Amino acid sequence: MTVTAQAGLLILLQTLVVLAFAPLLLGLMRQLRARLEGRAGPGVWQPWRDLRKLAGKSTLRAPGTHLAGVMPLVLTGTSLLLVALLPLLGTATLPWVPDDLFVVVSVLLLGTVAIALLGIDTGTAFGGMGASRHMTIAALVEPTVLVAVYALSIPSGTSSLSGIITARIDHPASVVSPISLLALVALVIVVVAETGRLPVDNPATHLELTMVHEAMILESSGRDLGWVEYASWLRLTALLGLVMNLAAPWGIAQQVSPLSLAVALLALLVKLTFAAVTLSLVEVFLAKLRLFRVPELMAGSFVLAFLAVTASYLVA
Amino acid sequence: MTTETLAMAAGVLLLTAVMQLWRRSVSGAITLLVVQGAALAGLAATLAAVDGDTELYLVAALVLLVKAGVLPAVLSRTATGTATSREDTPRVAPTTGLLLAAGLTTVAYLAAQPVAAARPAAAAQTVPVGIALVLIGFLILLTRRQAVSQLVGFIVLDNGIAAVALLAAGGVPLVVELGVMLDVVLVVLVLRVLAGRMMRAFGGSDLAELTELRD
Amino acid sequence: MTPTTLILTLLPVVGPALVAAAALAGRRARWTDLAAPASAVLILVCGIALVPVTMHDGPSVWGVLRADPLAAYLLAVMGAVAATATWSGMAPRWADSRPDGWFAALMCLFEAAMAAALVADNLGVMWVAVEATTIATAFLVGYRGGRSAVEAAWKYVVLGSVGVAVALLGIVLLYAATGSAATLSWSALVSGSIPMDHGLTRMAAALTALGLATKAGLAPMHSWLPDAHSQAPAPVSGLMSGVLLSVAFSGILRVQAVSDAVLGPHSLRSLLLVAGLASLLVAALLVLTQRDYKRLLAYSSIEHMGLLALGAAVGSPLALGAVLLHILGHGLAKASLFVVAGRILAAEGSARIGDVRALLTRRPALAVPFLVGMVALLGFPPFGLFVTELGIVYAGWQQGLGWAMAVALVLLLVVFAGLARHTLAMTLGRPGRSRAETAHDTVHSDTVHVDGALHGAHPHGGRHGYPDGPTAPLVLALGVVGLLGLAVLPLREVLTSAATLLIGGTP
Repeated sequence: MTVTAQAGLLILLQTLVVLAFAPLLLGLMRQLRARLEGRAGPGVWQPWRDLRKLAGKSTLRAPGTHLAGVMPLVLTGTSLLLVALLPLLGTATLPWVPDDLFVVVSVLLLGTVAIALLGIDTGTAFGGMGASRHMTIAALVEPTVLVAVYALSIPSGTSSLSGIITARIDHPASVVSPISLLALVALVIVVVAETGRLPVDNPATHLELTMVHEAMILESSGRDLGWVEYASWLRLTALLGLVMNLAAPWGIAQQVSPLSLAVALLALLVKLTFAAVTLSLVEVFLAKLRLFRVPELMAGSFVLAFLAVTASYLVA
Repeated sequence: MTTETLAMAAGVLLLTAVMQLWRRSVSGAITLLVVQGAALAGLAATLAAVDGDTELYLVAALVLLVKAGVLPAVLSRTATGTATSREDTPRVAPTTGLLLAAGLTTVAYLAAQPVAAARPAAAAQTVPVGIALVLIGFLILLTRRQAVSQLVGFIVLDNGIAAVALLAAGGVPLVVELGVMLDVVLVVLVLRVLAGRMMRAFGGSDLAELTELRD
Repeated sequence: MTPTTLILTLLPVVGPALVAAAALAGRRARWTDLAAPASAVLILVCGIALVPVTMHDGPSVWGVLRADPLAAYLLAVMGAVAATATWSGMAPRWADSRPDGWFAALMCLFEAAMAAALVADNLGVMWVAVEATTIATAFLVGYRGGRSAVEAAWKYVVLGSVGVAVALLGIVLLYAATGSAATLSWSALVSGSIPMDHGLTRMAAALTALGLATKAGLAPMHSWLPDAHSQAPAPVSGLMSGVLLSVAFSGILRVQAVSDAVLGPHSLRSLLLVAGLASLLVAALLVLTQRDYKRLLAYSSIEHMGLLALGAAVGSPLALGAVLLHILGHGLAKASLFVVAGRILAAEGSARIGDVRALLTRRPALAVPFLVGMVALLGFPPFGLFVTELGIVYAGWQQGLGWAMAVALVLLLVVFAGLARHTLAMTLGRPGRSRAETAHDTVHSDTVHVDGALHGAHPHGGRHGYPDGPTAPLVLALGVVGLLGLAVLPLREVLTSAATLLIGGTP
């Protein structure tokens, strides 16, 4: 098989796996939270059932909205692109589709803007409020993502994500270096903010004071809601996969062969489960931050990432 | 090995300083001072191991005793004495303060260029951390309203200077080192007594209340 | 170093320290009032004795100590000013004051620390001594108790320590710049025989000068000075304004000598010019609208320090000689003025200029020394300050800094106008309709509450001051300042050798 075909196969496989696993991941998180909070919980397959239910419902759109039908599709598109680009299963890439850091951040931002537009387009107070909060957080999150991954990329000399991960596999010492730890802490905070989990946003609440993501999709229904929800789950899975692969890069497939793919699949599932469990535990034990303290947290993570960058210049 | 230990100690120093700027809790800041003092002592011990300088071991022990033991103890007594537990209204919002800290780290890196040019040893490349600590100590001093927080900033400043001394010059002569430590301890004790007097005179140790003397 | 020189160098440091310990041991004894003046006289005698010795033998070093004409001269100056401040600050004979051993011990420790800063050869030891002066004076500044005093003490200690910490950073970098030689000895650094990295030395010298400038009260790091000097008891203010600022400034001179030896002449010129002109500007702006006469004197100290910084910036032998003489003249005049101001405060009960009127007719014993001291401070001939100010300006013009000197002269004129206006407002005029009578009964929040001071013995002793005191030291001090203009010739040799030391002649 040619390199291109190999990469194509890898991407296809990666996308299928994540498409299948994302709702399951979320179901796992919700079930674990429920159990920890003393509830019975809806079961790990509930998100799939929710999707089936939403697919069958009629879609209500307010008259005069043009984007309500389009934006969910745009969001889903960006999420799919993210899943395809990020090195989740393997580090082989298509030569004309770079998994460069800047491309990934741009795709993330595109998704962010899409959902914000969706919120504003409904014309309701909640939508606008949610969109403005969402964009404030995004404005602080994007620089941090760039700087944190840049800090991780300095030892490898390339800004391609798969290149960074390959370099980290080759030099195990760089994985546990203090710089890497600083950058990863910053990245974790950022992923939490980007995907709207506690302590930045509470995905289970619909109160005005505490909504960010939920406020923007409050007016969506039926298929639109289905697309948006699915796209958010895909984003969460993809970003969690990225962070886990950066933190513990072993197991990822560096060449395309049945054995390495099987190992990579297993490793990915284990890592994702670990991340989901940890996130659930953290969510149960942390309270949501007040909105005006969120910039503080973001600034703190930015400074941590910045320190990681400067420190790596000092030691180099 | 030593480069990594140096980098680790320097990283801990900088991280604790940034956390002290970020956190509002005064007792948290004092605990971070203990960590900072321990990191500084570790730095001195590493340099002593590299240079084989026995005086530096003594300095490391002294730093551990004073910076990680005596001074935080005095500060926590002052905090209880002036009933300070949280820095509720700093002059500069934490977000701005943190971004300023990032800026100051850049400035420190630029300002340390003459040092790095003069002393090409590996330790000298980490001098920007010391200067960043000095600048962050200044920032804490300027932006805090509680007396104890200003004391914390002063000690961070002094830790930074000690770090610069160790990294740039391998420590200063023992006589000077002893004198400097004694002076710092005495200044902190003096400020503790003054904070107590301020508590009696003003009913609190909020420095924004000191507005009697003006032109 | 010969044994005599060693004894004469150690005695100014060890002597007052021992006296302090003794004063602390015998806290209630009457003689503790004499402890501080006695230490000052000891320092004066040692300094005067050291001058011919060092002029004859040349500079010598022993461990971390150094004896040279500059140190000797400054010790003598320090002793003279300290003697003036502490002797005239003593309680009058009719007062039944309670002796305060702590106060005396702190004053003696203060003097010992300043003497140590003068005779230190190791720059690190000099730093330790300067910081020790901050510690010793912390409680002296806050001695009167009350909100303003605590506020002044806090700001003084924090700003002073932070400024001096910057100087420590500079000294540490200077140590790093010496490379393998690894020395902080001033003698070695100034000799120019150590290869030092230029970029690092530049940065280090600037930082050290900046840090010491905070302690010397140069703008823009001067904000602690008016508060501390106005809230401290009168002899403490006199000592601080007269000596401590000069000791910190002598540190700047020594750092400048090192910097010039390594980087070439006039290396710190722009820094000192900016600091000097800024200090003059601050003083000029704030003297005109001043309402507190002790703060007025503090701002005048800032003005004179600015003038000294200008002289140091010029850097020629004439300028440095004038600077050294100015230190003596300013010290004596300012100490006398602060003591008299303290007496006025005790007599009038208010520190506000507006509340004090017609002193010349009501209290000539206070007004005359005040007027004479002010005349000396303003630089009227034949007082010595006239000669030194002229010397600095002329030297500046000679070195091509005419524009700076012109600006300085304009600012000096403004300060002159402000000081003269306030002094005349306080001393001249007719009593009766003035607020002076009502000032006896009012209690101001920022002033001292004086009960019965006018009518007899004050129960609280030195804490609030007395309206009266020894006159002899004032007469002596102001007399010396007066004669200084004429007595330049005998002092010329000392001044020349001290100045040459700084410019890098004989190490």
